[in-house]
Amino acid sequence: MAEILLKNAYVIDPISGINGEVMDIAISGSRIVEDASPHSEVIDCQGLLTLPGGIDSHTHTSGTKVNFGRYMSPEDMRAGRTSKKGHMHITSGYSVPTTYGNSYRYSALGYTSLVEGAMAPLEARHTHEEFKFTPLQDSFANALFDGNWGMLRAFEDGDIKRAAAIIAWTLTAVKGFAIKLTNPGGTEAWGFGKNISCINETIPTFDLTPAEIIKGAIKANELLHLPHSVHLHCNNLGTPGNFSCTIGTFGHVPDVNDKRQSLYATHVQFHSYGGSGWGDFCSKSEPVANMVNFRPQIVIDMGQVMFGRTTTMTADGPMEFNLYRLHHDKWSNHDVELETGSGIIPVNYRRKNLVNSIMWAIGLELALLVKSPWQCLLTTDNPNGAPFVKYPEIIALLMSKKYRDAEFETVHQDTEKRVPLPAIERELDWHDIAVMTRAGQARALGIIDLGKGHLSPGAEADIAIYPIKPDEIDPSAEYEKIIQGFAQTEYTIKRGRIVSRRGDAIIDGENTTFWVKPKVPAAYDMQHDTVFQELFERYYSVRMSNYPVQEEYLHRNHCIETETDL
Amino acid sequence: MNITITFRNRRNPFIPIEAEMITPDAFFNNKEICVGEGNRMVHLTELADVGIDGTASSVDEIEILIRGDAALVKRVGEYMTGGKITIEGNIGMHCGNFMSGGKIEIHGSADGWLGREMKGGEIICHENAGDYCASGYRGGRRGMRGGSVEVFGSVGDFTCEHIAGGEVMIHGNTGDFACAEMKGGIVTIFGDTSRVCANMSGGTCYVYGSAVEMIPTFEKKGTISHDGLLFHHFRGDVANRGNGDLYTVRFTYLQ
Repeated sequence: MAEILLKNAYVIDPISGINGEVMDIAISGSRIVEDASPHSEVIDCQGLLTLPGGIDSHTHTSGTKVNFGRYMSPEDMRAGRTSKKGHMHITSGYSVPTTYGNSYRYSALGYTSLVEGAMAPLEARHTHEEFKFTPLQDSFANALFDGNWGMLRAFEDGDIKRAAAIIAWTLTAVKGFAIKLTNPGGTEAWGFGKNISCINETIPTFDLTPAEIIKGAIKANELLHLPHSVHLHCNNLGTPGNFSCTIGTFGHVPDVNDKRQSLYATHVQFHSYGGSGWGDFCSKSEPVANMVNFRPQIVIDMGQVMFGRTTTMTADGPMEFNLYRLHHDKWSNHDVELETGSGIIPVNYRRKNLVNSIMWAIGLELALLVKSPWQCLLTTDNPNGAPFVKYPEIIALLMSKKYRDAEFETVHQDTEKRVPLPAIERELDWHDIAVMTRAGQARALGIIDLGKGHLSPGAEADIAIYPIKPDEIDPSAEYEKIIQGFAQTEYTIKRGRIVSRRGDAIIDGENTTFWVKPKVPAAYDMQHDTVFQELFERYYSVRMSNYPVQEEYLHRNHCIETETDL
Repeated sequence: MNITITFRNRRNPFIPIEAEMITPDAFFNNKEICVGEGNRMVHLTELADVGIDGTASSVDEIEILIRGDAALVKRVGEYMTGGKITIEGNIGMHCGNFMSGGKIEIHGSADGWLGREMKGGEIICHENAGDYCASGYRGGRRGMRGGSVEVFGSVGDFTCEHIAGGEVMIHGNTGDFACAEMKGGIVTIFGDTSRVCANMSGGTCYVYGSAVEMIPTFEKKGTISHDGLLFHHFRGDVANRGNGDLYTVRFTYLQ
C-alpha cells in the first residue's frame, strides 16, 4: 500500500474549516489518514497551496455529442496535438480534445473528478466508454430527462411517484448520477420543429408547462433521495431578455433539502441576458444574482465565456438551430427518440464583438455579485463558454480587479454602457476560489460523504498542490502568477497516487464511475410495469431488455444506493 | 538533384506506410527520412532503395521518382512547396495533401484524398483517383484552395467537396456528390456525374456528360454555347442562397 506524507502544506479545505493552515497530510492507500506511517514517502510542500482535488460540476467531455464535436471540426483536432511521452498517449484537439487530452489537461489543472453535464440515456454506453479512457478523473454522468415520454406522461397524470419510479429505473439502467433537465419541454417541442419561449407555455405534445416539469422533477428527486439535486439548464438559453424566464424559474424552487440545494442551475451566464433583441442586448446579472442571494436553495454555476475559438454543444437543439441561423456555419442536430435531442456548432467569441464582450462580463458579474461562493461555482460549461484550460485565467479575473480592468480595456468599447462589471470592486480570496472549484461542487453534488472535496481523515486522497505560496503573492496585483500557478500543479494526487507532476501525467491511472441506484419497492419497479413496457415496445428502437447498460460495461464503479419514499 | 525511391517487396504487403516525409522539401533540408510502417517508425531505407544523384541549390531542382509497389504509401508530397514527384505506379491515400507548390505526376492510379486541401502546385494523375479527390477533410470548411488537379481516369465519391479555389479537370466519370458544398474554383467533368454541386455557394462547374439525379434546388437560367456544345446553365444552390454556376450538357432529375 502506497503511503505518502505531505509536509508543510499550506492547506485550504473549506469543508473541514481549514483556511490557510500550514500542516502535514498523511495518505495511506487511497485515503487520507490521521497519522503517517514511518515508511511514508515524504514530499516537502514548502508552504505551497494545497487544495482538495478539483471537481468540475458541469463539463462536456464524454459522450456522443462530444464525439460528434470532434469529428465535425478537423481544424480543432489539428489545433492541440501532443505526441506520446512516457505514460502519456498521443492527444489532439483544443476545445474538444480526445479523451486522454481531456484527462491529462484536467489533471494538470488539479482536477480529479468530472461531471458529464448531459448524457442522453439511450446513448449512455458511449459516455461510459469514454469515461473508461479518461483515467485520471472520477466520473459522474447527469442523465437527460427533459423530454422523457414516460416521465412526462406521469407528470401529466399528476403521478409524481410514478415519475420518480421511471427516473429511478432509467438512472439505474444507464448508470447515471443525477437528473438533468435541458430546456425542459423545449427540446421535446423541437422534435416537432417548435420551441418554448416561456416557462408557463404549454408544450405541444403534453399538457404540461416547463415550470410543472421542473417542479415535478424536484419533487421526484427528493422522493428518491438522490445525492445531487435536479441539474437544470433553463429555458431560452442565449435569448436576449431571458433573465425574466430564469428568475421566474428560480421563483418556483422550494427549499426541500437541508443538506444541499434543491436546484442546481447550470451556466447561468447564458440565462442572464436583458434587452429585447441583439440591438439593445445587455447584462441582467444583478437581478439574477440577487435572486440567488435571497434563495439559499439554489446553486448556480457561471458558464463563463472566454474569448477565442471553441465548440458549443448542448442537448438544447432549438437553441443551436438559432445559433446556426446567426452564424450560418457548420451545424449538427440530433434527435434522441423519446428522450432528448442535441446540437453542436463551432463558435469564435471575439473581443471586438459587443455581444460576446457582454457575455464575457456577465459570467464574472455573477461570480462577484453572488455573495456566497458556495452558491456560484466556477465553470465555463466546457467547451461551450470556453475550453476548461481557461480556468486559471478566470480565477485570476475573479481575484484581481486590476486584471479585470486591463482586460476590460481590450473589449468592445460600448460594453461599458451595458454591464455593471467596471463598478464591481469585489476581489475573491483563496478560500472563495477553493470553494468555487472543489468544496462547493462536492456539497452541491452531495458527494462529501463519499470523501470528495475535502481533506479530513477518511476522505479520498484527491489532492492538488499548486506552485503558489499564498503568503508571498498579492493576487490583486500579481495576477500573472495566479494564472501560471493554477495552470499547472506541482503534484496532482488521485486516490493516493501521484498522477500528474508539473503538467505531465506519470501513470496510466484508473478512475471510478459513480452511479445511483434508488431502492424502489416492488410496486414501483418499472421493469415489470406493463404500461412502461408497452411504451418501450411501441416507440423505442431498442428493446427494453437491451436498453440497460450492463454492470460489466463499467470498469471500476461505485454504486450509490439510496432509500426512497415511494 | 534526382532521387529514386524504389519500394522493395515486403513480407506483409498489406501494412500501410505513412510517408509524409517523402517531399522535395525534406530532401532539400537533408532531413532524416523516417516513415511509419504500421505502428513502428523506420528509416525509409529499410523499406526502399534510395538513390540520390547530384545536388540542388533550391527545392525546385529536386525530382523524386517513386517506383515499386507504393499503393499503400500514404501522404507522399504532404505540405510540399516545390520540386517534382513522379510516381511510376499507383500511390496511396492523401497524396499531395496541403501542397502549395511543385508538381506531382502519377502514372498509375491514386487512392482517396488526392490533393486534399491543396493551396497551389499541380497534380496530374494518368489513371483513376479515389474518393474525396481535391476535397476538404470531413467536417472541414474549405477544401482545395488553389493549384490544379487533372485526372485522366474516373474519380470516386465526394470529388472536390468544399472546393474553394483552383482548377480541377476530370476526364472520366465521377461518383456521387461531386462538388458538394462547392465555394469557388472551376471544376470540369468530361464524363458523367451524379448529384453534382449539392449545396454549392460559389464557383463554376462544367459537366460535358450527363448529370444524373440533379439536385432540384437549382434555378434554370437557359442554355449557352461553350466549347462547341450546348450547355444547360443552372444557378444555385438556391437552398443555400448560393451563387454558383453549373453548366451541364445533359441532366436528369431523380425519378
